[in-house]
Amino acid sequence: MDEHAVVTTRVAERQWHAVADDRVVGRGDASPRPDGRIFISIDAWHCSVFDRLADTMLADLPEPLYTLVDEADVDMTSHWERAGFTTRRREWEYLVPTDPQVTGLGSVPAPPGVTMVAIGEAEQGPLRTLDRTIRDEVEATVGWQEMPAEVLHRPDGVTVPDASKYAAAARSDEYVGLVRLAPVARRPRIGLIAVRSDHHRLGIARALLAHVLGSLHRSGIETASAEVVESNAAATALFEGVGARRAGSNLELVLR
Amino acid sequence: MVECLRNATFRVELENGHKVLAHISGKIRKNYIKILPFDRVLVELSPYDLTRGRILYRYRT
Repeated sequence: MDEHAVVTTRVAERQWHAVADDRVVGRGDASPRPDGRIFISIDAWHCSVFDRLADTMLADLPEPLYTLVDEADVDMTSHWERAGFTTRRREWEYLVPTDPQVTGLGSVPAPPGVTMVAIGEAEQGPLRTLDRTIRDEVEATVGWQEMPAEVLHRPDGVTVPDASKYAAAARSDEYVGLVRLAPVARRPRIGLIAVRSDHHRLGIARALLAHVLGSLHRSGIETASAEVVESNAAATALFEGVGARRAGSNLELVLR
Repeated sequence: MVECLRNATFRVELENGHKVLAHISGKIRKNYIKILPFDRVLVELSPYDLTRGRILYRYRT
């Protein structure tokens, strides 16, 4: 393909096209996250078109810019590195067995005074209160940019749009831990597992995981998936401790 | 999609029975959409190599 015949154009506020011979041969896209960060993507059939689109987009957009790549996709990663992006963090994709004989969670009791509220039975009010508390705690400590994309920063909006996807750990008349399960038919996804900071190190997260994995196993599902930021040692230990295995990884790249 | 291969590539069977190798589009990856075997997907074929493609969309099953 003649590189000089490629024309890159911003076709909308967040979209770019590369055109050659009246044919779109590459597309770029920019998406702002609720936390204000801008994530961009480029799809092109040729390296040279990728580079042209990257040049145009990077000139049009303010830094810092972010993107996500599958770490196994060496070509795509090198494209972005050529454009100046560097790795900011890694997220592991885990496959999590549900069989209690594999996870060792069959006899994990809930901590004293804590009861498990099954998926679909959690009440909206206390769930939203807990979710807001946990989000505030994260914001005050590691910050939202260190959390997986599932835990997006929503300062003003409703953060628990569908309580039916949650199980909770209750103590007295309030919830102190939650787990959210995306009901993907063949491989449900554990989108979030979190415990209020004043109830850490009591085994509540492990009990929540045991509860959810056990119910999945009883409904005939053998494996769930989860994503964990590499630097989150507690979450990594929790999942690897139940026999979860790494199936892949995503890199978050940044251009500053 | 019939098979997940190495290097972030998928083998996809088209409605006409042909099989192509496809990557996930950046937009899908950016939105954390997962592709699993037996998912129905929309694939854009490369104009330069009809055995290659890009997954643009995963249909709800």
